[in-house]
Amino acid sequence: MASPEPTASRPGSTRTGPGRVLIAIYALFALAASARAGVQIATKFGNAPVAYLLSAFAAVVYILATVTLAVGSPTARRIAVLSCSVELVGVLAVGTWSLADPATFPDATVWSGYGSGYGFVPLVLPVFGLLWLRRWTGWARTRRTIVPSAGDAGEAAGGGVDRGQGGGPGQGAEDVVADGGTQRGATPRSPA
Amino acid sequence: MSCVNGAVPTTIIVAGLALAGYALLTTARNRRMDVILLAALGVLEILLLVQVGIIVARLAGGERPAGLATLIGYLIAMPLVPVAAAFWGLLERSRWGPAVIAVAGLVAAVLMVRLHQIWPVIRV
Repeated sequence: MASPEPTASRPGSTRTGPGRVLIAIYALFALAASARAGVQIATKFGNAPVAYLLSAFAAVVYILATVTLAVGSPTARRIAVLSCSVELVGVLAVGTWSLADPATFPDATVWSGYGSGYGFVPLVLPVFGLLWLRRWTGWARTRRTIVPSAGDAGEAAGGGVDRGQGGGPGQGAEDVVADGGTQRGATPRSPA
Repeated sequence: MSCVNGAVPTTIIVAGLALAGYALLTTARNRRMDVILLAALGVLEILLLVQVGIIVARLAGGERPAGLATLIGYLIAMPLVPVAAAFWGLLERSRWGPAVIAVAGLVAAVLMVRLHQIWPVIRV
Protein backbone atom coordinates (compact mmCIF):
# COMPACT_ATOMS: atom_id res chain seq x y z
CA MET A 1 0.00 0.00 0.00
CA ALA A 2 1.50 3.30 -1.07
CA SER A 3 2.30 5.92 1.53
CA PRO A 4 1.51 9.59 0.89
CA GLU A 5 4.25 10.98 -1.34
CA PRO A 6 4.77 14.19 -3.27
CA THR A 7 3.21 12.49 -6.28
CA ALA A 8 -0.02 12.13 -4.36
CA SER A 9 -0.62 15.84 -4.82
CA ARG A 10 -0.62 15.27 -8.56
CA PRO A 11 -3.28 12.64 -9.22
CA GLY A 12 -3.29 12.08 -12.96
CA SER A 13 -6.00 9.50 -13.03
CA THR A 14 -8.44 11.13 -15.43
CA ARG A 15 -5.67 11.72 -17.96
CA THR A 16 -4.44 8.14 -18.25
CA GLY A 17 -5.91 5.18 -20.07
CA PRO A 18 -9.15 5.92 -21.90
CA GLY A 19 -8.92 9.43 -20.48
CA ARG A 20 -6.03 10.10 -22.82
CA VAL A 21 -8.22 9.32 -25.82
CA LEU A 22 -10.91 11.62 -24.45
CA ILE A 23 -8.41 14.41 -23.85
CA ALA A 24 -7.00 13.98 -27.37
CA ILE A 25 -10.46 14.40 -28.90
CA TYR A 26 -11.33 17.25 -26.53
CA ALA A 27 -8.07 19.02 -27.37
CA LEU A 28 -8.84 18.61 -31.06
CA PHE A 29 -12.30 20.11 -30.65
CA ALA A 30 -10.96 22.88 -28.42
CA LEU A 31 -8.49 23.78 -31.15
CA ALA A 32 -10.96 23.42 -34.02
CA ALA A 33 -13.78 25.30 -32.30
CA SER A 34 -11.62 28.19 -31.08
CA ALA A 35 -9.85 28.56 -34.43
CA ARG A 36 -13.16 28.45 -36.27
CA ALA A 37 -14.86 30.90 -33.89
CA GLY A 38 -11.86 33.21 -34.01
CA VAL A 39 -11.82 33.34 -37.80
CA GLN A 40 -15.60 33.75 -38.02
CA ILE A 41 -15.82 36.53 -35.43
CA ALA A 42 -12.82 38.36 -36.87
CA THR A 43 -13.86 38.22 -40.53
CA LYS A 44 -17.67 38.05 -40.76
CA PHE A 45 -19.26 38.56 -37.37
CA GLY A 46 -22.30 40.38 -38.81
CA ASN A 47 -23.39 37.40 -40.91
CA ALA A 48 -24.46 35.15 -38.07
CA PRO A 49 -23.63 36.69 -34.67
CA VAL A 50 -25.61 34.13 -32.67
CA ALA A 51 -23.94 31.19 -34.40
CA TYR A 52 -20.45 32.65 -34.01
CA LEU A 53 -20.91 33.55 -30.34
CA LEU A 54 -22.19 30.03 -29.68
CA SER A 55 -19.11 28.67 -31.49
CA ALA A 56 -16.92 30.77 -29.21
CA PHE A 57 -18.82 29.56 -26.15
CA ALA A 58 -18.41 25.96 -27.30
CA ALA A 59 -14.69 26.60 -27.75
CA VAL A 60 -14.40 27.84 -24.15
CA VAL A 61 -16.26 24.77 -22.86
CA TYR A 62 -13.99 22.43 -24.84
CA ILE A 63 -10.85 24.17 -23.58
CA LEU A 64 -12.14 23.95 -20.00
CA ALA A 65 -12.95 20.24 -20.38
CA THR A 66 -9.55 19.50 -21.96
CA VAL A 67 -7.60 21.28 -19.24
CA THR A 68 -9.59 19.93 -16.30
CA LEU A 69 -9.48 16.34 -17.60
CA ALA A 70 -5.73 16.70 -18.05
CA VAL A 71 -5.20 18.14 -14.56
CA GLY A 72 -7.39 15.53 -12.90
CA SER A 73 -7.38 16.88 -9.34
CA PRO A 74 -10.66 16.53 -7.38
CA THR A 75 -11.48 20.20 -8.02
CA ALA A 76 -10.58 19.89 -11.69
CA ARG A 77 -12.79 16.81 -11.96
CA ARG A 78 -15.73 18.74 -10.56
CA ILE A 79 -15.16 21.50 -13.12
CA ALA A 80 -14.79 18.82 -15.81
CA VAL A 81 -18.15 17.32 -14.81
CA LEU A 82 -19.68 20.79 -14.99
CA SER A 83 -18.20 21.58 -18.42
CA CYS A 84 -19.18 18.18 -19.83
CA SER A 85 -22.73 18.74 -18.54
CA VAL A 86 -22.86 22.24 -20.04
CA GLU A 87 -21.55 20.74 -23.28
CA LEU A 88 -24.24 18.05 -23.35
CA VAL A 89 -27.01 20.55 -22.57
CA GLY A 90 -25.49 22.94 -25.12
CA VAL A 91 -25.33 20.44 -27.97
CA LEU A 92 -28.92 19.31 -27.28
CA ALA A 93 -30.26 22.87 -26.93
CA VAL A 94 -28.36 24.37 -29.87
CA GLY A 95 -29.08 21.28 -31.98
CA THR A 96 -32.81 21.63 -31.38
CA TRP A 97 -32.67 25.41 -31.79
CA SER A 98 -30.79 25.16 -35.09
CA LEU A 99 -33.38 22.74 -36.48
CA ALA A 100 -36.37 24.73 -35.17
CA ASP A 101 -35.11 28.16 -36.22
CA PRO A 102 -32.65 27.81 -39.13
CA ALA A 103 -32.84 31.58 -39.83
CA THR A 104 -30.79 32.30 -36.69
CA PHE A 105 -28.07 29.98 -37.99
CA PRO A 106 -27.18 30.98 -41.55
CA ASP A 107 -23.74 29.58 -40.78
CA ALA A 108 -23.16 26.40 -38.79
CA THR A 109 -21.77 26.13 -35.27
CA VAL A 110 -20.03 23.11 -33.78
CA TRP A 111 -23.31 22.17 -32.12
CA SER A 112 -25.71 22.80 -35.05
CA GLY A 113 -27.87 19.79 -35.90
CA TYR A 114 -26.54 18.00 -32.78
CA GLY A 115 -23.03 18.19 -34.19
CA SER A 116 -23.93 16.58 -37.52
CA GLY A 117 -21.21 18.58 -39.27
CA TYR A 118 -18.66 16.84 -37.05
CA GLY A 119 -19.97 13.30 -37.34
CA PHE A 120 -22.09 13.72 -34.17
CA VAL A 121 -18.88 13.54 -32.14
CA PRO A 122 -19.94 16.68 -30.16
CA LEU A 123 -23.07 14.77 -29.07
CA VAL A 124 -21.26 11.57 -28.06
CA LEU A 125 -18.18 13.15 -26.50
CA PRO A 126 -19.80 14.70 -23.36
CA VAL A 127 -21.61 11.41 -22.68
CA PHE A 128 -18.33 9.50 -22.70
CA GLY A 129 -16.70 12.30 -20.71
CA LEU A 130 -19.34 12.13 -17.98
CA LEU A 131 -19.24 8.33 -17.88
CA TRP A 132 -15.47 8.39 -17.58
CA LEU A 133 -15.53 11.03 -14.83
CA ARG A 134 -18.34 9.30 -12.95
CA ARG A 135 -16.58 5.97 -13.09
CA TRP A 136 -13.33 7.35 -11.82
CA THR A 137 -14.74 9.57 -9.08
CA GLY A 138 -16.94 6.72 -7.89
CA TRP A 139 -13.91 4.45 -7.66
CA ALA A 140 -11.86 7.10 -5.85
CA ARG A 141 -14.59 7.78 -3.32
CA THR A 142 -14.71 4.18 -2.17
CA ARG A 143 -10.91 4.02 -1.89
CA ARG A 144 -10.19 7.41 -0.37
CA THR A 145 -11.13 6.23 3.11
CA ILE A 146 -8.70 3.32 2.89
CA VAL A 147 -5.75 4.59 0.85
CA PRO A 148 -4.50 8.05 1.84
CA SER A 149 -2.83 8.63 -1.54
CA ALA A 150 -5.83 7.91 -3.70
CA GLY A 151 -4.04 9.68 -6.51
CA ASP A 152 -1.38 7.01 -6.95
CA ALA A 153 -3.83 4.18 -6.68
CA GLY A 154 -6.18 5.95 -9.05
CA GLU A 155 -3.45 6.37 -11.61
CA ALA A 156 -2.87 2.64 -11.69
CA ALA A 157 -6.59 2.05 -12.01
CA GLY A 158 -6.86 4.61 -14.79
CA GLY A 159 -4.37 2.72 -16.91
CA GLY A 160 -6.19 -0.53 -16.39
CA VAL A 161 -9.75 0.46 -17.09
CA ASP A 162 -11.06 -1.80 -19.79
CA ARG A 163 -13.74 -1.45 -22.45
CA GLY A 164 -13.88 2.30 -22.16
CA GLN A 165 -16.70 3.74 -20.16
CA GLY A 166 -19.21 1.00 -20.57
CA GLY A 167 -18.14 -1.44 -17.87
CA GLY A 168 -19.49 -1.62 -14.35
CA PRO A 169 -17.56 -0.91 -11.14
CA GLY A 170 -16.90 -4.60 -10.58
CA GLN A 171 -15.19 -4.89 -13.92
CA GLY A 172 -12.92 -1.99 -13.02
CA ALA A 173 -11.49 -3.80 -10.01
CA GLU A 174 -10.87 -6.87 -12.10
CA ASP A 175 -9.07 -4.80 -14.71
CA VAL A 176 -6.68 -3.34 -12.18
CA VAL A 177 -5.49 -6.85 -11.47
CA ALA A 178 -5.40 -7.85 -15.12
CA ASP A 179 -3.54 -4.73 -16.14
CA GLY A 180 -0.96 -5.02 -13.41
CA GLY A 181 0.12 -8.26 -15.02
CA THR A 182 0.05 -7.12 -18.61
CA GLN A 183 1.29 -3.57 -18.55
CA ARG A 184 5.00 -4.34 -18.57
CA GLY A 185 5.01 -7.42 -20.75
CA ALA A 186 2.42 -6.23 -23.25
CA THR A 187 1.00 -9.70 -23.38
CA PRO A 188 -2.63 -10.26 -24.34
CA ARG A 189 -5.10 -9.75 -21.56
CA SER A 190 -6.19 -12.93 -19.92
CA PRO A 191 -9.72 -13.93 -20.95
CA ALA A 192 -12.15 -12.68 -18.34
CA MET B 1 -0.27 18.80 -61.55
CA SER B 2 -3.88 18.05 -60.79
CA CYS B 3 -3.00 14.37 -60.80
CA VAL B 4 -0.43 14.94 -58.07
CA ASN B 5 -2.84 17.13 -56.14
CA GLY B 6 -5.41 14.38 -56.15
CA ALA B 7 -3.09 11.49 -55.41
CA VAL B 8 -1.57 12.83 -52.19
CA PRO B 9 -4.81 13.58 -50.27
CA THR B 10 -6.29 10.26 -51.42
CA THR B 11 -3.18 8.45 -50.23
CA ILE B 12 -3.38 10.28 -46.89
CA ILE B 13 -7.03 9.25 -46.48
CA VAL B 14 -6.26 5.61 -47.25
CA ALA B 15 -3.14 5.64 -45.05
CA GLY B 16 -4.99 7.37 -42.21
CA LEU B 17 -7.86 4.89 -42.27
CA ALA B 18 -5.47 1.92 -42.51
CA LEU B 19 -3.47 3.28 -39.59
CA ALA B 20 -6.66 3.78 -37.57
CA GLY B 21 -7.76 0.22 -38.33
CA TYR B 22 -4.43 -1.30 -37.33
CA ALA B 23 -4.24 0.87 -34.20
CA LEU B 24 -7.75 -0.14 -33.13
CA LEU B 25 -6.79 -3.77 -33.68
CA THR B 26 -3.79 -3.20 -31.42
CA THR B 27 -6.08 -1.70 -28.78
CA ALA B 28 -8.50 -4.61 -29.12
CA ARG B 29 -5.62 -7.05 -28.63
CA ASN B 30 -4.53 -5.08 -25.54
CA ARG B 31 -1.09 -4.31 -26.93
CA ARG B 32 0.93 -1.17 -26.44
CA MET B 33 2.19 0.98 -29.25
CA ASP B 34 4.82 -0.86 -31.31
CA VAL B 35 7.44 0.01 -33.91
CA ILE B 36 5.01 -0.65 -36.77
CA LEU B 37 2.62 2.00 -35.46
CA LEU B 38 5.47 4.44 -34.94
CA ALA B 39 6.71 3.84 -38.50
CA ALA B 40 3.18 4.22 -39.88
CA LEU B 41 2.86 7.54 -38.06
CA GLY B 42 6.16 8.56 -39.64
CA VAL B 43 4.86 7.72 -43.12
CA LEU B 44 1.66 9.68 -42.40
CA GLU B 45 3.75 12.64 -41.23
CA ILE B 46 5.79 12.60 -44.45
CA LEU B 47 2.61 12.44 -46.57
CA LEU B 48 1.08 15.35 -44.65
CA LEU B 49 4.26 17.39 -45.07
CA VAL B 50 4.18 16.68 -48.83
CA GLN B 51 0.58 17.90 -48.87
CA VAL B 52 1.56 21.05 -46.96
CA GLY B 53 4.35 21.59 -49.48
CA ILE B 54 1.96 21.27 -52.43
CA ILE B 55 -0.45 23.80 -50.88
CA VAL B 56 2.32 26.24 -50.00
CA ALA B 57 3.60 25.97 -53.59
CA ARG B 58 0.14 26.83 -54.91
CA LEU B 59 -0.17 29.76 -52.51
CA ALA B 60 3.29 30.95 -53.56
CA GLY B 61 2.12 30.69 -57.17
CA GLY B 62 -0.46 33.37 -56.43
CA GLU B 63 -3.59 31.25 -56.01
CA ARG B 64 -5.83 32.13 -53.08
CA PRO B 65 -8.74 30.21 -51.53
CA ALA B 66 -11.79 31.99 -50.07
CA GLY B 67 -10.91 31.02 -46.52
CA LEU B 68 -7.19 31.76 -46.46
CA ALA B 69 -6.99 32.09 -42.65
CA THR B 70 -8.62 28.68 -42.17
CA LEU B 71 -6.31 27.12 -44.74
CA ILE B 72 -3.23 28.48 -42.98
CA GLY B 73 -4.60 27.08 -39.71
CA TYR B 74 -4.87 23.68 -41.38
CA LEU B 75 -1.33 23.95 -42.73
CA ILE B 76 -0.06 24.50 -39.20
CA ALA B 77 -2.27 21.86 -37.53
CA MET B 78 -1.87 19.04 -40.08
CA PRO B 79 1.78 18.10 -39.45
CA LEU B 80 1.24 18.28 -35.67
CA VAL B 81 -1.34 15.45 -35.63
CA PRO B 82 1.03 12.45 -36.10
CA VAL B 83 3.67 14.06 -33.87
CA ALA B 84 1.20 14.53 -31.02
CA ALA B 85 -0.13 11.00 -31.51
CA ALA B 86 3.37 9.49 -31.43
CA PHE B 87 4.19 11.45 -28.28
CA TRP B 88 1.03 10.28 -26.50
CA GLY B 89 1.45 6.74 -27.77
CA LEU B 90 4.92 6.61 -26.21
CA LEU B 91 3.63 8.21 -23.01
CA GLU B 92 0.62 5.96 -22.53
CA ARG B 93 2.09 2.49 -22.07
CA SER B 94 -1.19 0.65 -22.36
CA ARG B 95 -3.76 -0.28 -25.00
CA TRP B 96 -5.00 3.31 -24.94
CA GLY B 97 -1.86 4.62 -26.60
CA PRO B 98 -2.79 2.94 -29.91
CA ALA B 99 -6.36 4.21 -29.38
CA VAL B 100 -5.04 7.79 -29.47
CA ILE B 101 -3.10 6.89 -32.65
CA ALA B 102 -6.34 5.56 -34.17
CA VAL B 103 -7.93 8.94 -33.50
CA ALA B 104 -4.98 10.62 -35.23
CA GLY B 105 -5.40 8.42 -38.32
CA LEU B 106 -9.09 9.27 -38.55
CA VAL B 107 -8.33 12.96 -37.99
CA ALA B 108 -5.80 12.94 -40.85
CA ALA B 109 -8.45 11.46 -43.17
CA VAL B 110 -11.11 13.95 -42.04
CA LEU B 111 -8.67 16.86 -42.41
CA MET B 112 -8.16 15.95 -46.09
CA VAL B 113 -11.90 15.99 -46.73
CA ARG B 114 -12.23 19.33 -44.93
CA LEU B 115 -9.25 20.67 -46.86
CA HIS B 116 -11.05 19.86 -50.06
CA GLN B 117 -14.10 21.77 -48.79
CA ILE B 118 -11.97 24.81 -47.95
CA TRP B 119 -10.15 24.80 -51.27
CA PRO B 120 -11.74 22.58 -53.93
CA VAL B 121 -8.71 22.84 -56.24
CA ILE B 122 -7.09 20.34 -53.87
CA ARG B 123 -8.74 17.30 -55.31
CA VAL B 124 -9.40 14.35 -53.09
